[in-house]
Amino acid sequence: MVEMFSALLSGLYQVFNWSTFSLMMVGIGVGFVVGILPGLGGPTAMALMLPFIFTMNAVEAFAFLLGMTAVTATTGDITSVLFGVPGEPTTASTIVDGHAMARNGEAGRALGAVLTSSLLGAIFAAVALAVAIPVIRPVVLSFGSPEFFMLAILGISFVASLSGEDQLKGIIAGGIGLMLATIGLDPISGIQRYTFGQLFLWDGIGLVPITIGFYAIPETIGLAVLGTSIAKQEVGKLGGVMEGVKDTFRHFWLVIRCSALGCFIAIIPGIGGATTQWLAYAHAVQSSPNKERFGKGAVEGVLGPGAANNSTLGGSLITTIAFGVPASVVMAILLGAFIIQGIVPGPDMLLPPPKGKLDLTFSFVWVIIFSNFITVAICFLFLKPLAKVTQIRGAIIIPLILVLIYLGAYAEKNAFQDMVVVLFFGGLGWIMEKMEWPRPPVLLGLVLGPLAENRLFLSTDNYGLSWTTRPGVMIIFAITLFGIFYPVWKRRKEQLVADSQSSTPVEVSRHRGIHFSPAAVFTGVVVAILALALFQSRNFGVRAGLFPWVIGIPTLLLALAQLAKEFTTGKKDRTHEQVEVPPEIARRRTLEIIGWTVGCFLVIWLLSFSYAVPLFILLYLKLAGREGWLMTITVTFFAWLFFYVLFERMLNVPFPDGLLLSFFQ
Amino acid sequence: MLQLFALLTAIFIGLISVRSAAAAADDFYKGKTIRIVVGFSAGGGFDTYARAIARHMGKHIPGQPSIVVENMTGAGSLIAANHVYKVAKPDGLTIGHFIGGLFLGQVLGQKGIEFDARKFEFIGAPITDHVVCALTKASGITSVEKWMASKTPVKMGGIAPGTSTPDNATRIFKAALGLPIQLVSGYKGTADVRLAAEGGEIAGGCWGWDSVSVTWRKALDSGDAVVVLQASRRTHPDLPKVPQAIKLAKTDEARKMIEVGIHGDSDIVRTYTLPPGTPEDRVQLLRKAFNATLKDPEFVADAKKSKLNISPIAAEDIEKDIAGLFKLDPALIGKLKKILYD
Repeated sequence: MVEMFSALLSGLYQVFNWSTFSLMMVGIGVGFVVGILPGLGGPTAMALMLPFIFTMNAVEAFAFLLGMTAVTATTGDITSVLFGVPGEPTTASTIVDGHAMARNGEAGRALGAVLTSSLLGAIFAAVALAVAIPVIRPVVLSFGSPEFFMLAILGISFVASLSGEDQLKGIIAGGIGLMLATIGLDPISGIQRYTFGQLFLWDGIGLVPITIGFYAIPETIGLAVLGTSIAKQEVGKLGGVMEGVKDTFRHFWLVIRCSALGCFIAIIPGIGGATTQWLAYAHAVQSSPNKERFGKGAVEGVLGPGAANNSTLGGSLITTIAFGVPASVVMAILLGAFIIQGIVPGPDMLLPPPKGKLDLTFSFVWVIIFSNFITVAICFLFLKPLAKVTQIRGAIIIPLILVLIYLGAYAEKNAFQDMVVVLFFGGLGWIMEKMEWPRPPVLLGLVLGPLAENRLFLSTDNYGLSWTTRPGVMIIFAITLFGIFYPVWKRRKEQLVADSQSSTPVEVSRHRGIHFSPAAVFTGVVVAILALALFQSRNFGVRAGLFPWVIGIPTLLLALAQLAKEFTTGKKDRTHEQVEVPPEIARRRTLEIIGWTVGCFLVIWLLSFSYAVPLFILLYLKLAGREGWLMTITVTFFAWLFFYVLFERMLNVPFPDGLLLSFFQ
Repeated sequence: MLQLFALLTAIFIGLISVRSAAAAADDFYKGKTIRIVVGFSAGGGFDTYARAIARHMGKHIPGQPSIVVENMTGAGSLIAANHVYKVAKPDGLTIGHFIGGLFLGQVLGQKGIEFDARKFEFIGAPITDHVVCALTKASGITSVEKWMASKTPVKMGGIAPGTSTPDNATRIFKAALGLPIQLVSGYKGTADVRLAAEGGEIAGGCWGWDSVSVTWRKALDSGDAVVVLQASRRTHPDLPKVPQAIKLAKTDEARKMIEVGIHGDSDIVRTYTLPPGTPEDRVQLLRKAFNATLKDPEFVADAKKSKLNISPIAAEDIEKDIAGLFKLDPALIGKLKKILYD
């Protein structure tokens, strides 16, 4: 006990070393910028920074890397709230209510809430990490493949809460996500599922480009159509910030529950902030008495994910430190840093010195706490100018966001094809938004699908069918059932009460006959693609085919039901449709911005990033934005300078040659 | 504002012209950048070796080029292999580093391979793998005799068919030595295999001693994990008493399978490769620099800090190993195909 305490102090002392602390500050600085910039994510930044740690000692290296990672989730939330574009793939969920709040003129309150809950989440996780040290190993080791499988199922069951008003669409969307997850080479049977002969698709489609495309592109289109700055109303009411801070404490137990959720779920290898944020969001919806406020600016929808995406880091670190098993992409890279530093993660990390490196582990705890405090403090100081950003003309921000979207998608794996993925899912996300299909279930299915499939087969290979009777499995199964049926039961009870009070039947206006609406066309396409996918899967064999069949068939049936519903119910009255822009102008602007989005991709493809970045920004500012020459050239120059110095000179990102340029060579 | 703008422009034009002037010098590598295309993600074993080498190799090449590591992940590094073969320019500025098991994969007809291993140029490899099987004490298998006598198949962890270790090695042990094994494949990496073994889900796994000895040190020291078998051309100095698989093999065919599928594969698994058609003088230059780097005291110190062992394999030996793969008896190829992929 005394040894642990002295290790705790020693860890603190080591962080306050002059060079360590300044490197942590550099890390925080990098993380701050990376977090704010949409497109560029924590894992990409971490991989790019890895070469710099060779000359540092262990405490310095981890202060630098952890400081950087710890803040990305916090500053990423800011971008999500202000712009509706995910600053990080792990902060997409704060968009749903946070950005809605910003548009209602409550940006200050949303930011106050997200920053405070982030801080609480991070501290919770750091403390959990420290407290868990004596019991980490036995607890994690009691979880085998069967328990991991059940946890994945539990996670998938959260789709119901993420579906919003239309449960049917939500469940179909979740099914689509699970189907998308089966893309790739089935590692066991060696069968290629939906890869179209592309090696690129062997490992499946990446979550990062999908998340970026799904949220950033529709929002950019929306911004261009509005033709204004982001805030439709003045976001001058920064007094709201304190309100947001108070909100955090008003919903204190929700924040704590979501922190715990993020932290403990992240212990499972394969689950990171990209998943936990949505689980936390779902939990916030589920535990609220009036669910219909969500998506329209409910502060709980900001608090939950804000806390969870920060607490995830502590949870992932537990698995990485105690077992040397990376729980997420960021952790895999951090594990590389361990190797470079000659440190072996494992039981030694949990033993006090001189036998082990507990002081180093505790220094991680301190770095997480300090870097979050510092970041949140800086954010509060600069909240005013930050919120002002939303008043900059959209025309100046749009080209920068577009370039960053493609840059982020490319730089994650240095894969050109990921830019196509971004574009495709940007289009899909935009249509889904227009047709009022919920997007989060797709992402949840996409992440949890592979985990479920992989662990199901590992469970049956290891235990036959006896795994179903393990106590852990039964407990998680019971929790899952409770989570699904309790809300149904509660709603029924409430309905009974409501029915006995008012006996007026609800008028359902039903147009007779068959109607062809754009919504029905989209659902039709979904049905067709699902059917094609199922047809393709007929030769997969049981091993590779089980998942596509088990998921594809019910999803197809539900999609058919949805299609039938759309054919018969006809057009919905779209009274809540935005009416700020006349339809003809909106249509023209939509076509224009879609042209620019695709155009940006084409210019990069033809000319490579080096030339495309300045050219595209210049053209957009001049032609679409109709900015003056001075403004155009200044913005272009500084954007190019930033790009050139950082990516080409310092980080040596290997950009592909442009198609045209290589043609002329 | 405008003045600042003009100043910045001037600085940049200056920077660029200095750079291009340097490139005009006669030494080919002067002012150039060599890229090591690593087929696995940042932070993994392949990446760590490559980054350590990249840090020191530049100074052993005339002109002292800078060397950067570029990660091109996907399909078990096959994407990188195909890229180095088909796309990369053979100008001595691109070095490929992907898993050498793909060379055997070509001979066995692995899907997706678009290269011909015989046309690559080779630089060398910093280390040979030394395959061992480590099992937990809890599994009850603490020696190869006990393993052989086990009534039920012993569960061993795997990643995916065609992976050099653990999968290929484990499958060959099972076929060549008749060990009772149930290979449970699908773990995400050897770290996950280790976790599953510690949790008691499986008994253990077979992969490189360099990784096992470092990541499982604690359990090995306490006796909670035991190395019961090794397979390599030379018995490892750390493991003098652990039986060599090839000595346990009863038939010529079994010995040949271990020799080709494990011993030979171990030598070429971490090969550094150049695109076909790279000029001969640059190949020689890079080979020399590579060898000098592996002996460079600063590099050795870095490697020691990161616990990376060094036992270089010469390019000539790699060429010999790979040429040997293409002369294998078709019957043996057929047999290996069946063992490794079915």
